[in-house]
Amino acid sequence: MPHSRFIFRQLTRSGNQAAVFVLCVTLSIVTLVAVNGFGDSISRSLLRDARTLHSGDIILHAHTPLSRPLLDAAADLERSGKAQTVRIYEFYSVVRSGMGDDSLLADIKIAGPAYPFYGRVTLASGRDFQSVLTPGAAVVERPLLDRMGLSVGDPLKVGEATLTIRDVVVHEPDRPVSFLSFGPRVFVAMSDLDKLDLLKRGSRVRHYLLLKTPEGTDLERMADRLRSVAVPGQERVETYRTARSRIKGFFDNFLFFLALIGIFTLLLSGIGIQSALTALLKEKERTIAAVKAMGGTGRFVIGHYIAVVGILGAIGTVLGLVLGFALQWAMPTLFGGLLPDDLPLTLSFRAMLEGLVLGVMAVALFAFLPLHRLREIKPGAVFRKESAGRRRGLPFYLAAAALFLFFTAMVLWQLEDPRIGIWFVLGISGLILLTALAAAAILAGLRRLPLRALAPRQALRGLFRPGNATRATIVTLGAALAVLFSIFLVEKNLDAAFVRSYPADAPNLFFIDIQPDQTAGVSELLGTAPRYYPVIRSRLLSVNDEKIDRERERKRRRDNLARTFNLTYRDYLLDDESMLEGNSLFRDDIDGLQVSVLDTVVDMRPMAIGDRLEFNIQGVPVTAAVSSIRTRTKESIKPFFYFVFPEDSLLKHAPQSIFTAVRVPKDKIGETQNRIADRFPNITAIDVTQAIADFADIVHRLSVVVRFFTLFSLLAGVLIIVSSVLATRFARTQEAVYFKVLGAKSRFVLTVFTLENLIIGLISAALALAISQTGAWIISVRVLDIAYRPYPGASLLMGAATVLLVVAVGLSASLSILKQRPVIFLREQTEE
Amino acid sequence: MTFRSRTVLFITLAVLAVSAAPALSTDPDPPITIVAMGDSLTEGLGVPEERAYPAVLEQNLQKAGYPVKVINAGISGETSAGALSRAEWILRLKPDILILETGANDGFRGVEPEAVKKNIAAIIRILRKRDVVVVLAGMKMVKNLGEDYIQAFEDVYQTLAADFDVIFIPFILEGVAGDPALNRDDGIHPNADGYRKVAAHVQPYVEKAIGRWRGREADG
Repeated sequence: MPHSRFIFRQLTRSGNQAAVFVLCVTLSIVTLVAVNGFGDSISRSLLRDARTLHSGDIILHAHTPLSRPLLDAAADLERSGKAQTVRIYEFYSVVRSGMGDDSLLADIKIAGPAYPFYGRVTLASGRDFQSVLTPGAAVVERPLLDRMGLSVGDPLKVGEATLTIRDVVVHEPDRPVSFLSFGPRVFVAMSDLDKLDLLKRGSRVRHYLLLKTPEGTDLERMADRLRSVAVPGQERVETYRTARSRIKGFFDNFLFFLALIGIFTLLLSGIGIQSALTALLKEKERTIAAVKAMGGTGRFVIGHYIAVVGILGAIGTVLGLVLGFALQWAMPTLFGGLLPDDLPLTLSFRAMLEGLVLGVMAVALFAFLPLHRLREIKPGAVFRKESAGRRRGLPFYLAAAALFLFFTAMVLWQLEDPRIGIWFVLGISGLILLTALAAAAILAGLRRLPLRALAPRQALRGLFRPGNATRATIVTLGAALAVLFSIFLVEKNLDAAFVRSYPADAPNLFFIDIQPDQTAGVSELLGTAPRYYPVIRSRLLSVNDEKIDRERERKRRRDNLARTFNLTYRDYLLDDESMLEGNSLFRDDIDGLQVSVLDTVVDMRPMAIGDRLEFNIQGVPVTAAVSSIRTRTKESIKPFFYFVFPEDSLLKHAPQSIFTAVRVPKDKIGETQNRIADRFPNITAIDVTQAIADFADIVHRLSVVVRFFTLFSLLAGVLIIVSSVLATRFARTQEAVYFKVLGAKSRFVLTVFTLENLIIGLISAALALAISQTGAWIISVRVLDIAYRPYPGASLLMGAATVLLVVAVGLSASLSILKQRPVIFLREQTEE
Repeated sequence: MTFRSRTVLFITLAVLAVSAAPALSTDPDPPITIVAMGDSLTEGLGVPEERAYPAVLEQNLQKAGYPVKVINAGISGETSAGALSRAEWILRLKPDILILETGANDGFRGVEPEAVKKNIAAIIRILRKRDVVVVLAGMKMVKNLGEDYIQAFEDVYQTLAADFDVIFIPFILEGVAGDPALNRDDGIHPNADGYRKVAAHVQPYVEKAIGRWRGREADG
């Protein structure tokens, strides 16, 4: 028979601990629901961005006219209502001004009226794209006008047709995919296709057919069916999910990071749940002992407390779900302008359910141990002043194993990459073990510390008070803070990596094929002296006289040694390079020509310093000895070279072209291109402004999202601090009373408590800092492949804030203890 | 001997070794050095070097009894300006005959035909100064660039052939361009079958060049 009054009384008398417990449950549910739901939304948004980048769900692509069977298959899909289709032709053509005296290579795009399926083409006039692109019209990119001296309304000759420039295109959704373009865009209406007379035998045209499918279509299956009729090797069928996109890698990093934060937050709130519950039940120990002494069975006690925990858990869950819903409402405000306006920011029912199930499982698992310990409370505890000893029996290990399995499963499920998942679990386990060992070592050291002053001595004694969970507290706090700091550090590094990749002064105009005697002229025209990279094209013939097996090399899936390499010469390291083997690029003890190789080459085939590489530099064989091995951070769009020769070498005389990249204000790009093209027609300029702007925008949105979710883990961390301080409250009260009875002043008691908390805070923070620096370094360098910076200032600040928080929470908890009159406590102790 | 002078000596020796190679040969009939200079169409983008047209041409000529060595000096992506910049470097190979195939990449980037013409003319001048027999490969452009441009572009080669009295192949990809069976999936680079055809197409012109070279040798 459940004793409802007992349960009710336990609930209402539980105070702070119950609140912390409920908050932890709430937090874990909100986090799961929000991270999953929001992750879903983000995923959808990213996928939608990917879809926008390709402008369709399925993309058929070929350099030759699409084959009949493929077109028929697509038409079938359209007829049966399974997809909409649109044809797109893209090709380069030399367009001329109306008078025919000015010409320019332009990137022509002819798309059917349904284009674009996703996203929209923005025009300078703000008008609707398809309504402007009527027969006879051309819509062009600004640089075309600048470079040809034309304006809107002027005629433009494209192929055999004379069109009228009707508008300027500002943004084209699928432009970033064709990152490198040799000329400005010109849109022409599909109905003018034949009039241009440019699509015929001997034309080189990129043929596309885009398909848009209704929501819920099995894209992969549809793509497979289309693939089965496509001409192999000639026609490509891709979905927007599989289509290669430069941006996908960055998306993956962010989603991965979001998933990590979700898991961490769950883990942290789990720890919070456990310590809050331990604290809560600890205060009830005497009550429980009394109940047992009065004849209450273990089953009665545990059953009722499960009910108490269940009710509290349910409150937390409901709160969590309500907050989850609230968050859904708040999302548009929170992320206003960051996410596309028309993105439905809904927390899916699935995300809700998932969050609920996982949250309940977490509560159950983390609550198991504290509840199980209730069995160990002996009725005799009513008379004793110390709490029950803790034995670690089978249930403890079972519970620990269950938690470990649950956590592992969570990680594997969230990360979707078993290998990284396993490493991650091992890492976290190692982290906790390490924290425990370090904490034990430090405490053992402290114990031996000879202290004279009474207050610090008492504080130190307090740490080793029998039954005091100092070590557990430090391990919990240390591990939790380590995770929190790690998130912070990784996030800062990710952010910095992106800022470094796309700094405000990132080059937006690339010049290739500059001839060596033109650099001075180019610098003069640009009004600045950019860094010039000589490029010498070459092939690797042999390594230590062993011929490169071209057939075998070519079969490699990634990079291979059979391809053409760009060599360069210089005597310095680039900013993003560092030495892996050897102290400097080149050595004094090697005779003859030397070459420094990038580690990527060594990954393809092991090489050591002194190995002889034979190159074919445009017909002339050249042998060089490996002088060093370099590595580089792969985070930014910067030119890099596998093979670097000394500045003063044979290479300087080899035929070469020169590459450079500069930053030019957006409105000056066309003008700059013109000046260069006029004087040096052989130099090709590539404008990447729009592509980079689109990209930077997406990256910025993502980093705000990640920062928001980091707040959840921060909150969980604070709750852990609160609950672990509360957990020792009972013992403190007791101690305060004894101090007072012995004649101590409040001030002394306060000093002792503050010192005690200070020690705990300091140890935890120091441990956390040490571990998080290592962890964040590993995640940054190994997993995310970005350079790592330790941010010592910010780290120290975090550590100081932690110590401050621990002391402050401890003080606020102690103040009420101090106000308590000893006599009341003593009376309660004996008379209950 | 200081380090620097040793390095200089080494480089000198290396250069000498390269330049002396044909002279040191004990072959009674020293091979004729043919250099195939060009862009990806010469280099053989995506096919093994032995399948690109220079290697096939060498085999064919040798089978036909010509003591030739054909060196592939093709560089993918190279424009006529790039070719001009390495004309001097190529002379290190001591070519007797040089097949010059360049300009396609200029065309793909819409470079002014006049600039292409100036570059190729400069290359031919450098080669003739060293008595290299030049075989100029004509190039046609993809139709999508527009008739005016294509015409101006193709005229470049006609004019050069006339101005310089070089051996002229009107279009090196004759019968290969545009045929999916003879090209790689990208639609512009010949595959191995395509290169067999290119080599066969080029051969009579090169034989004519060999004749001209021998005549010159006999005169000199």
